[in-house]
Amino acid sequence: MNPFIERYSQLGWDYTETKMRESLWVNTSKIRVEELKARLEKKRIILKKIPFLEKGFLVESKRFSLSSTQEYLQGFFHMQEAASQLPVQALQPKGLVLDMCAAPGGKTAQIALQAEAVVALESQQKRMQALLNNLERLGIKNCIAYNIDARKFEGVEFDKILLDAPCSGNCAKDRRWFSKQTISNFEKNSKIQKELLSTAYDLLKEGGEILYSTCSLEPEENELVVDWAIKNLGLKTMKLDSYGSEGLTQIFNKKLSEEIKLCKRIWPSQTQGFFMAKLKK
Amino acid sequence: MQKNLAKPNPRILHGETKKMIQTFIQKFTQEKIEYTKIGSKYFLATKSLIQIKDKIKITPLLVGLYLGEEKEGKFAPSLALLEIIAKTSTNKVFIKDIGEMDFIYGKKLRSRHILKIEGETKVGFLKLIQNEHDENLGLGKISKEIKEGGTIIKNKMDRGDFLRREMD
Ligand SMILES: C[S@@+](CC[C@H](N)C(=O)[O-])C[C@H]1O[C@@H](n2cnc3c(N)ncnc32)[C@H](O)[C@@H]1O
Repeated sequence: MNPFIERYSQLGWDYTETKMRESLWVNTSKIRVEELKARLEKKRIILKKIPFLEKGFLVESKRFSLSSTQEYLQGFFHMQEAASQLPVQALQPKGLVLDMCAAPGGKTAQIALQAEAVVALESQQKRMQALLNNLERLGIKNCIAYNIDARKFEGVEFDKILLDAPCSGNCAKDRRWFSKQTISNFEKNSKIQKELLSTAYDLLKEGGEILYSTCSLEPEENELVVDWAIKNLGLKTMKLDSYGSEGLTQIFNKKLSEEIKLCKRIWPSQTQGFFMAKLKK
Repeated sequence: MQKNLAKPNPRILHGETKKMIQTFIQKFTQEKIEYTKIGSKYFLATKSLIQIKDKIKITPLLVGLYLGEEKEGKFAPSLALLEIIAKTSTNKVFIKDIGEMDFIYGKKLRSRHILKIEGETKVGFLKLIQNEHDENLGLGKISKEIKEGGTIIKNKMDRGDFLRREMD
């Protein structure tokens, strides 16, 4: 048996193949939802509201690529998978917000539309251009962006921080995922994720909140990272009103803090796989 | 007056070296746009955003909305700048739905594509190209007077660039 599927089964999920469905969110700073829907319908693109998202829609049917439509080029919407739209909704951005791992910028733009200002960091230079393009297309006016390893960033304190951490991804997102991944990869990612969380803690105001998210299903990159943050940084997990099931507190033979239940774990079904934790300083 | 518009790079337009962005904006609108400059790039940024930037020691790649940049002594506007100035400009060409995709794919506009022209119609003038919803599609240059028929507006830059950049 596939060792990853065996692990999922031990964690309580019976693997089923899932296909990612095309989704988007509407940029209501540029267009009203009803107007966008009507314009796309004329082009036989049908959108269906995703019940657990405020501005998220599923592309029910289409005749051609959405990113070649005038509405896309005008920045009326952004293509983003449904589960990926959840972290910003859960963070409830306000004040000055840091987006530590920003490219290609879907979540940066979501934050910018709600917060006073957002500082966006991205370590990979070649991914920076996608971030800048998306912000320009969507007409975002309140973002400052840096090409830097977030672990080296300093200078200001933030009211809220999004750490959408680099991770191993998941099998719903990538059909060849199983043949590409190893457990040691998860351990490597976990080390970086903890370092990033530790920087997030330093950059956060007292009483501020961090939304930690990954699109990984692996506990090494999720519950175990949060458990470490509770024990080593003194962060507290907060309740998350969101789609998804409870975080796991029994990881193979290891028992974790009960508060981890407040996290949200999304096994692939209606969406790709995802994990979120809201942490308070 | 427009003179010697750039040939090799359609995103670069001539202007005075000093206040290139203002020279460019004035061709389209009297609106004053508060901008800040970092290196050769111009941005639309509020005071509070600049205050945040000033506390951080490293140089950002973006502060607010990117408005364009100076390249080889010329000004290259951003698509976001065109969108802003189009709101108050009366120097526009409105095109029909049938011309929209042609223009977005970098093609010239012919008389059959055109709905209405506002402002100057002389050869060499730059025009903001708008669709039927008055949304900016890019920038064009009149290359033949309308009454002569045939090709009349050359594509200088267009919003299809967002798609082309994604494919790079
Ligand atoms: C999961 S993706 C982020 C997706 C993004 N939040 C969005 O919604 O569009 C993680 C990003 O973090 C970047 N990254 C990885 N390590 C980083 C670091 N140390 N500092 C800053 N960014 C980093 C990666 O290059 C990648 O673009």
